[in-house]
Amino acid sequence: MVPGLRQFTDRTGEVAGVPVLDTDNGEEMKYVQPGVAIVIANRSPESPGTLYISSRKVVWLSDVDRQKGYAVDFLALSLHAVSRDPESFPSPCIYTQIETEADDDESDKSDSECQETLDLSKVTEMRLVPSDPNQLDTLFQIFCECAELNPEPIEEDEGFGGGNWVFSADQLADNGSDVEAPEWFSPNPTSSIGHSNGDHDIARTVLELQINDQRFEDAEEMERENENSPHN
Amino acid sequence: MLFFSYFKDLVGREVTVELKNDLAIRGTLHSVDQYLNIKLENTRVVDQDKYPHMLSVRNCFIRGSVVRYVQLPPDGVDVDLLHDATRREARGG
Repeated sequence: MVPGLRQFTDRTGEVAGVPVLDTDNGEEMKYVQPGVAIVIANRSPESPGTLYISSRKVVWLSDVDRQKGYAVDFLALSLHAVSRDPESFPSPCIYTQIETEADDDESDKSDSECQETLDLSKVTEMRLVPSDPNQLDTLFQIFCECAELNPEPIEEDEGFGGGNWVFSADQLADNGSDVEAPEWFSPNPTSSIGHSNGDHDIARTVLELQINDQRFEDAEEMERENENSPHN
Repeated sequence: MLFFSYFKDLVGREVTVELKNDLAIRGTLHSVDQYLNIKLENTRVVDQDKYPHMLSVRNCFIRGSVVRYVQLPPDGVDVDLLHDATRREARGG
């Protein structure tokens, strides 16, 4: 599980500096927005600061205090939205929800009200308030694009009898034709069970299926086969 | 990919997305991508008493991995079509 919000002080450069990114592993800066305040949970806004959006995470750095900064990975951002209603928050902002390990733990609610002992990893809400509300739509769009760059890592859990019973991404990608259009909408009649387009003898098709198709083999047999000569 | 295609077909319809943290958001399905990330427009939170701060949100992006359920419009569900499509998918296309 990815950590939630965290302190971020890894800067480089003069004056306020810029965040250090993991460029060796392909992380790149996507967008920089100066003049952004950050609101963590229900604390008071912290500013002035600059928002950095990389291909992997959101970083906010204080413009005045080099020791003050926060970061959260896109993998931990469960939701983001543009909030413009002054009743829910005084300034238009990007509202985000952060997935935390303690999601189900109600007991941390009281902690987060106490500013001194706020545990960043338990923070579930963060607001980013640009000084110019006209930037909100652009920021929202950048957030969307970067979130899509960060799909859930595929779990390589082979511990279940060694069988690869969850489709991996590349297996799915093999069905390239299914990616583009909703082809399932009009199934190819020749490959549908119980369908005949006139050219095919349906009885023969069914017979072929019974004889040749491994999927109709007994599950136990398959397992034994796999043990002896793994072919997948 | 099946559900990606299926949800793409529901763009423009009203759906309710229920998150794993129990938040349920109703809105017009704006778009969906291959990871089942979902963008909603004209959203409203179903349980407004519990999540008052979400009232103001008009459009939002929800990460696919935090979605627990998507409630569909009843007439957006063609059971026969889905049966066919899932059979096809199970056979590997």
